[in-house]
Amino acid sequence: MNRKYFFAAVIGFVLLALVPVFTHNPYYIHLVETIMIYAVLLFGLDIVVGYTGQVSLGHAGLFGIGAYTAGVLFLKVGAPFWVILPASVAVTALFGAVLALPALRVSGPYLAMVTLAFGTIIQILINEMTFLTEGPMGLKIPKPTVAGYKFDEVSFYWVVCAMLALSLLVVHRVLRSQLGRAFEALRGSPVASDCMGVSVYKYKVYAFVISAGFAGLAGCLYAYSEQYISPNTYNNELTVLFLLAIIMGGRKTRLGALLGATIIVLLPKLLDDLEAFRIVASSLAALMLVGGAIGVGRKITTVATMAVPVLGTAALAAFSFWLESITDWRLSIFGLMILFVVYYLQDGIVGFVRSLLGRRSASQSAEHHVLASGQGDPILQAVKNTGEDLLVAKQVLMQFGGLKAINQVDLRIKRGTIHGLIGPNGSGKSTMMNVLTGIYVPTAGSIEFEGRSVVGRTSSDIALSGIARTFQNVQLFGEMTALQNVQVGLHHTFDSNFADIALATPRSRREEAAATQRGMGLLAFVGLADLADEQARNLPYGKQRLLEIARALALDPQLLLLDEPAAGLTAPDIKELVSIIRKIRDHGITVILIEHHMDVVMGVCDTVSVLDFGQKIAEGQPAEVQANEKVIEAYLGGTAA
Amino acid sequence: MEILLQLIYSGVALGMIYAVIAFGYQLTFATSDTLNFGQGEALMLGALVGLTLVDRLGLNYWLAIPIVGAFGLLQGALVERIGVRPAIKIKSEFGWIMSTIALGIIFKNVAENIWGRDDLRFPSPLPEAPMKVFGANVLPMELLVIAGAVLMMLAVEFFNRKTIYGKAVVATFNDRDAAKLMGINTGLVITFSYALSSLTASFAGMLIAPLTLTGATMGAVLGLKAFAVAIIGGLTSGMGIIVGGIILGVAETTTGFYISTGYKDVPGLVLLLLVLAVKPAGLFGKSAIKKV
Amino acid sequence: MLTIKNLEAGYGKVHVLHGISLEVPKGKVVTLIGSNGAGKTTTMRAVSGMIAPTAGEILLNGERIDGMESFAIAKRGLAHSPEGRRVFATMTVTDNLLLGAFPRLTGSRPKGDVAGDLDRAMDLFPRLKERRDQLAGTLSGGEQQMLAMARAVMLNPEVVLLDEPSMGLAPILVEEVFRIIQNLKEQGVTMLLVEQFAAAALNVADYGYVLENGRISVHGEASRLKNDPAVKAAYLGGGH
Repeated sequence: MNRKYFFAAVIGFVLLALVPVFTHNPYYIHLVETIMIYAVLLFGLDIVVGYTGQVSLGHAGLFGIGAYTAGVLFLKVGAPFWVILPASVAVTALFGAVLALPALRVSGPYLAMVTLAFGTIIQILINEMTFLTEGPMGLKIPKPTVAGYKFDEVSFYWVVCAMLALSLLVVHRVLRSQLGRAFEALRGSPVASDCMGVSVYKYKVYAFVISAGFAGLAGCLYAYSEQYISPNTYNNELTVLFLLAIIMGGRKTRLGALLGATIIVLLPKLLDDLEAFRIVASSLAALMLVGGAIGVGRKITTVATMAVPVLGTAALAAFSFWLESITDWRLSIFGLMILFVVYYLQDGIVGFVRSLLGRRSASQSAEHHVLASGQGDPILQAVKNTGEDLLVAKQVLMQFGGLKAINQVDLRIKRGTIHGLIGPNGSGKSTMMNVLTGIYVPTAGSIEFEGRSVVGRTSSDIALSGIARTFQNVQLFGEMTALQNVQVGLHHTFDSNFADIALATPRSRREEAAATQRGMGLLAFVGLADLADEQARNLPYGKQRLLEIARALALDPQLLLLDEPAAGLTAPDIKELVSIIRKIRDHGITVILIEHHMDVVMGVCDTVSVLDFGQKIAEGQPAEVQANEKVIEAYLGGTAA
Repeated sequence: MEILLQLIYSGVALGMIYAVIAFGYQLTFATSDTLNFGQGEALMLGALVGLTLVDRLGLNYWLAIPIVGAFGLLQGALVERIGVRPAIKIKSEFGWIMSTIALGIIFKNVAENIWGRDDLRFPSPLPEAPMKVFGANVLPMELLVIAGAVLMMLAVEFFNRKTIYGKAVVATFNDRDAAKLMGINTGLVITFSYALSSLTASFAGMLIAPLTLTGATMGAVLGLKAFAVAIIGGLTSGMGIIVGGIILGVAETTTGFYISTGYKDVPGLVLLLLVLAVKPAGLFGKSAIKKV
Repeated sequence: MLTIKNLEAGYGKVHVLHGISLEVPKGKVVTLIGSNGAGKTTTMRAVSGMIAPTAGEILLNGERIDGMESFAIAKRGLAHSPEGRRVFATMTVTDNLLLGAFPRLTGSRPKGDVAGDLDRAMDLFPRLKERRDQLAGTLSGGEQQMLAMARAVMLNPEVVLLDEPSMGLAPILVEEVFRIIQNLKEQGVTMLLVEQFAAAALNVADYGYVLENGRISVHGEASRLKNDPAVKAAYLGGGH
């Protein structure tokens, strides 16, 4: 962890722990306790919402499961606290897995609906299964007793404090590790994740399970904190509040989660006090007006853009004076806040403040990576035996409805060669590549790689068995740095699991350091070492394409598929590209190259296959193919000029 | 046996309501790849506005329907303008999901404050005495619901097939860019589809209100279950949502009777989860082909 | 009729066109040829408003249309038969054609005789006449291409953009498509034709521009370009 942040965190926790020392009012102690509990849940929710980028409307349900597991175990089984705590976490994590199952194959609005359905079902079940949960009557739970010591208000507060610290540590470690990168990759590009060996299905489940674990912990603590739980707490209103907290505080930051928790706990209290609300609303409106005027004056923004927030806050302030009580309008206020944050404050308050201070965004490590000298060759020497058949495709047919995109194509790729695949637009080249990497399943035909069939296997399985690729439309993980992108490709080098990461075992630290080293080496190989800490989406286009190659090489592939790597590149970039391709071949890695740039193809390929209308019309050495009548006709049409 | 048939009739009527709401989801999803998470609230507002017109202002039920419809059109256009259009512009899926959720919350809260939190009775425009069909009871209102839902969907189909504007909407659904090349203002088409979607939802609200209790909370779970129906229909098939709606409606009325009313919402939600787990494209839909 | 001046355009970070200029005079057929990735389709998209140019001007009958939305440009009489055909698959052939005349039917362009034009389109494209009530998605590639072209003509346009009409078509269908283009030319339709198949395009066009890596490398009378070795080099490499 960065020095500065570490010390800031320590100081923060000391202050938090001292709260009951400074004030003896149980109301305030309880308030801060609730904020901390919500923060634990939000750390977990951020994994799903901030990192994998999905909307989860089911976390209130998971929270409820955690609370009720604690309540039921206490009431029905009389279990001790040190059993209940881990049990709540485990049971909720299990439910997280259950939730992940229908969510596996869907994303976006469908996934949101799945989580909403889940949350609603949980609430119904808690309400109806009175034999277990006492239904609407609710459950009473006293503060825990451990080894004869009964916790009181203050000592339990310190337990919560400790749990928050622990959660922070674990979440931080997880998100900094290969797990965190895998989660972000899911959002950046699910297709690329699969093709880099990070199975979208698997990691989606992990994200939900880990997130649920945190929700379970929070739920359990909440039960003991409130000492009374009932089903109607864990409703859709709460789940929306959790989402508001994350997006308002700021995704992908721990501080954002804490800030968000504070906002959603204090906000209802504020809304209960009409006078205070009027003051806050009026100040906000005034602030907006002044800020907007300055912004327009400095040409940072325009009148049109500022019109909505300025008028909106003014209307809100006016509205607050007209009302007798604001409590009834609580939900509308939340709704308006969501609307505001979604369009005007996309990175949350923390993100906004960071951008004001000119800092880079959360996902970037504040670290600066330098290439260590004296490193070995970052690219694994591929298996020798040049010349034997590496990939054999026989009579491959890929049919979409009536269209035969690939029509009875045979392809034989020899180890250690650079094999070009060319043809006019729509001839089936990219389709072939998608078939080879498992994105499409061929309608018929066989494809064997190193003697094993590829047909029907998942993309991530194929990637892990030695076939790597780049994409025609760049599929980088935009919000991650160049180094992190390559490290996702290195995911297969990690053996450490969640426990290793949470406990920061020597194995996990070793593997992370090794991945950083190798990642830097791979970046240096394509000439991007000094851009290691730049966000991938900010790189110039030519460098993005090189980064994709470095990432693909991280898989230690036997076969590398390059899909139009020279497209959109300038002449000097193309020269660099060609020399990189040659160096890759020199490491024994076989390359299939789809390209339109004839100079590149002719200059670097050993063999060239030509497709037209999904069929192979020519094959041979570049010069032969270039002079082939059929090929010329396919490209130029008719008798050529 | 009689009871089962009665449950089936009620189930079909309920299912048609789901189908109508689901139809609204299909409309917006087809033209803009977005949908309104507050669709249930649109239904709720239609029912409550209708209640005010009929109960408070003494307006005739049949005259109130077009007024409620007009209200629905406006409400839908508002949702599109505030919640969806900015998100489409910045290409943020998260944006329209969250903002339609937010708008739904706001509408519900406004409704609570205007009409109160209690459920209200909507006076039925038709006689309340049940009729006998094949020996089992069915309420005239239930028959009206079925007829009304089918009529409305047919009307939209007619519009789509016979008028040039309707064809423009279908064109937008087929290929938005190509539609623009034809001189079709696809932005307007999207606004229109949201307006139409809320129109159908408020109309559905008017239909179902006399059968159940009307209140600010009536929309939420309805919207979710209607989504299940829309998914079963594959978000593109009209026939699919009618079949799906009927299946769900009947499953619910039978569960509610034979097991317990508290659990009656569960079949629909579990169905949603199952369909999305097994065949996300829906029973009637077609899987999209990814282009990389 | 249609003038392009120093057009620059691309997709996000990728700059495809680096400043191209060309003229399509009234009643003439101008062709833009070049190998894949050279920027031909990007040019068409910039002209019809599917993408916004980053620099340069596009003028239709003296009015600047660069930066306008494609539906606004269509209303001004520019019809685009896009790459990949993009017919409305769930609608009938007749409905597709009627939609081509959408601005005429909704008051944005002079109405004229839509029904009559529909009949004339059917005569020009006999295959479409046979299949008038068939769903466009069930037509073969060649028939869809004809539908796309007929649909564009239904606008009664000032100028027609034809984007890679031969793409994905078997040679015999390509011949038919080009015969129809020749027919349209004889009727005086102004066309900008983008083609990968240089030979066929240069046979039907009056004037040609060769696009290479986002720049015009050669241009001239189509008959002269046919024999220019620079054209072959632009496609198969090894020229420069």
